[in-house]
Amino acid sequence: MHQLARSLALLGLLLGSSAQALMNQDQLLQLLKTLDDRQQNNGDYRALVYLEQKEKDQTDVIREAIVYRRSEDQRLIILFTKPKSEQGKGYLRVDKNLWSYDPNVGKWERRTERERIAGTDSRRADFDESRLAEEYDPSDDGDDKLGSYNVHRLTLKVKPNVDVAFPVVKLWVDTATNNVLKRQEFALSGRLMRTLYYPRWQKQFSESKKGDFWYPPEIRIYDEVEKANSTIVLIKTVDLRSLETNIFTKAWFESKSR
Amino acid sequence: MFHLLLIAVRSLAQHRRRTFLLGGAIAVVTALLVVLLELSTGLRATILRSATTLMTGHVNVAGFYKVTAGQSAPVVTQYTKVVDVVRKSVPELDYLIERGRGWARVISETGSVQVGIGGVDIQHEPGLHQVLRIREGNLDDLAEPNTILLFDDQATKLEVKVGDLLTISAPTPRGVSNTLDVRVVAIARDLGLLSRFNVFVPISSLQALYQLRSDTTGALMLYLKNLKAVPAVHARLREALQAAGYAVMDDNPKAFWMKFDSVNREDWTGQKLDITNWDDEVSFVTYTVTALDMLTGILTFVLLIIIAIGVMNTMWISIRERTREIGTLRAIGMQRRRVLWMFVLEALVLGLISTSIGALLGTAICALLNAAHIAVPIGVQLFLMNDTLTLLPDPAKILGAVLFISFCTTAIALFPSFLAARLRPISAMHYIG
Repeated sequence: MHQLARSLALLGLLLGSSAQALMNQDQLLQLLKTLDDRQQNNGDYRALVYLEQKEKDQTDVIREAIVYRRSEDQRLIILFTKPKSEQGKGYLRVDKNLWSYDPNVGKWERRTERERIAGTDSRRADFDESRLAEEYDPSDDGDDKLGSYNVHRLTLKVKPNVDVAFPVVKLWVDTATNNVLKRQEFALSGRLMRTLYYPRWQKQFSESKKGDFWYPPEIRIYDEVEKANSTIVLIKTVDLRSLETNIFTKAWFESKSR
Repeated sequence: MFHLLLIAVRSLAQHRRRTFLLGGAIAVVTALLVVLLELSTGLRATILRSATTLMTGHVNVAGFYKVTAGQSAPVVTQYTKVVDVVRKSVPELDYLIERGRGWARVISETGSVQVGIGGVDIQHEPGLHQVLRIREGNLDDLAEPNTILLFDDQATKLEVKVGDLLTISAPTPRGVSNTLDVRVVAIARDLGLLSRFNVFVPISSLQALYQLRSDTTGALMLYLKNLKAVPAVHARLREALQAAGYAVMDDNPKAFWMKFDSVNREDWTGQKLDITNWDDEVSFVTYTVTALDMLTGILTFVLLIIIAIGVMNTMWISIRERTREIGTLRAIGMQRRRVLWMFVLEALVLGLISTSIGALLGTAICALLNAAHIAVPIGVQLFLMNDTLTLLPDPAKILGAVLFISFCTTAIALFPSFLAARLRPISAMHYIG
C-alpha cells in the first residue's frame, strides 16, 4: 500500500513536470514572435555571404554574394559577385515578386519565392527576415536535449492560405538563449526535406531597431532527399547602416551587374 | 526526235568507257542523295513517332494556370468542358487522350535525374503500347497508383531495376515542396533525346504530387486521322475555344516548357489555354532534321559541281570527237536546233539512266541498312531519336532527286551543245581532230 502511494506520487510528479514544460498557445506564439524579433532589424541590412554547395559526383562550388534587405516592404536583393560565371546574376524581391536576373541574356524572370537559390539547397527565406509567427501555427513538442544543449522543441504548421516552401517545420530552440539551433523542414507528403543547423549566433547593435539584431554567421543545410547534397551558408560583415533609397530597383541591379 | 534520241543512245553506247565513268559518278551521287534523303525522312518519321507518343499529340489543347502573376502551372482546369468543345469542332479526330505534365526530380538511393513527368491513364494510351519497347517489367502495371516507367538511360543513371523504389520531388503550383514515393514497374528502351527527359506515372499519382483536382490535367492531346489536317484543326480549335469563352494564348510555336519565362512575365492570373501542334512541341529537336537537310544540300551542291565539270568536260570531248560528224550533218541539212537537241538528249539520257540506277542502288543500300538493324552509339542516338539506324524511303523525294540531277546534267550540257550547234558546216568538216 505504501509502495502504491509512492508510485502514484511519483507519477503525479512526472505528469506535473511535463505539463509544466509544455507551453500554452499564447506562450508559443510569444516565443515565435521573439525568434522573429531577434532577427528583425526594422531597417536596412547588408551582408557578405558565401554559399558552399556540395553535390554528389560534382566539384564543390563556392559562391560569393551580397545580400541587401530592407524591412519596409520586405525588400531583398541577392547579388552574386563570384565566381566569374555567376557574377552579376541574382535575385530581387519587390512587392512579393521574386525576380531573377542573368546579365548574360539581360533578361528578368519572375520566379517563385520558394525555389532554390542558384540551384543550391538554400531558399530565399534563409537570407530573408524571419517571419515564423506570420506564416506558421506552433505546437509544443516539449523539452529535449540537443547535444549538450537543453532545447525546446516546436512543430510549426503553415497557416491556411499562406504559401511557404515547407508546410511543416520543426524547431529546436535553445532554452537558455532562445537561439534556434536546429530546424527540420517537411514536404506536404510528410517527408523530411531539409535539416538546418545553426552552430553559432551573433548579435549586433542596430541603430534603426534601437536594440540587438541577431543573425547566424553559419547555416549548415543538409538535403534529406538527396542525402549527399548539402550547402553551407556563411554570413560575414553584416552592416546595418541605411542603404541608398533607390537600391531595390531593376535599374540599380542591372547597373551593378555590368 | 526519235532519230535524235537514237543517235544519243548509240553515241553513249559507242563511248562505253566514258559513259560508264560519268554515268557511274552520277549514279553514285544520286545513290548518296537518296540515302541522305531516306535518313532525313526516317529521322523526321522517328521524331514524329517518338514525340507524338512521349510528349505531344498531333494537336494539343494545353495551357497555363497562374495562381499569382509570377507563378504558372502547365495545367488545364475543368478539362471535361474543354473536351466537349474539342469533340464538337474536330470531326477529323481519331482519338483524344489527357496527359498530365510535370517537371520534377526523380531520386534513387544512388543518384537523381531532373525529368519531365507525363501523367498517363495507361488503359487509354494506344500510342505508348505501340511505340514503347519494354525491356523489363510490364507497361500495364502503370495502371497501379504510385508506379513509374523509366527509360534505359534513366534506369542506368539511377541504378534501379523493376521493383525498386524512387522518390519524386517537386513543388506544387503554389510552390510548396512535395514528394511521392513510386515503384518502378517498367523500363523501356531509349527513344533518343526525347526519352532522356521523360518518365511516366499514373495521372492520379501526378495529381497527388501536384495537389491537383481530378478535373485538372496537363494537356489534351488530339490524334487526327490525317496529319495534313493539323493546320486547319489548329486554327479551327483556336476560334472554337475563343467562341466558347476561353482565354487563348497567342500562337507561339514552341514547346510548352519553353514558355514558362514569357508566361511568368505576363501579369494575368487564372487560366489561359494554349493550342499547339506536334511541330511546335518538338521544335527544339527538329534542328537535327534541319541540320541533316542542310548537310544533304551542301553535299549535293558540291557533288553536283563535280558532276557538272565532268559532264561539261565529256561533252567537250564528245563534240571535239564528233566535229566532222556535226559538219556532215549540218551539210546535209540538219538544223542548228536539232544539233543542239542531239547533244542535250545525250546528256538527258545519260542523266536519266544514271540517276535511275543510282536511285535503285541507294534504295537497295537503305533497305540493307534497315534490315541490318545497325545499333548506333549513344551520342548518335540523341540526334537520331532511335537506338538503331532507320531510313525511310519516300518515293516522291526519290523521284524528285532523279529528276533534279537529270535536269542539272542536261542543263550543264546546254552550253557545249549550243556551241556545237553554232559550228559552221564547212569548218567542221575540215576539222582534223
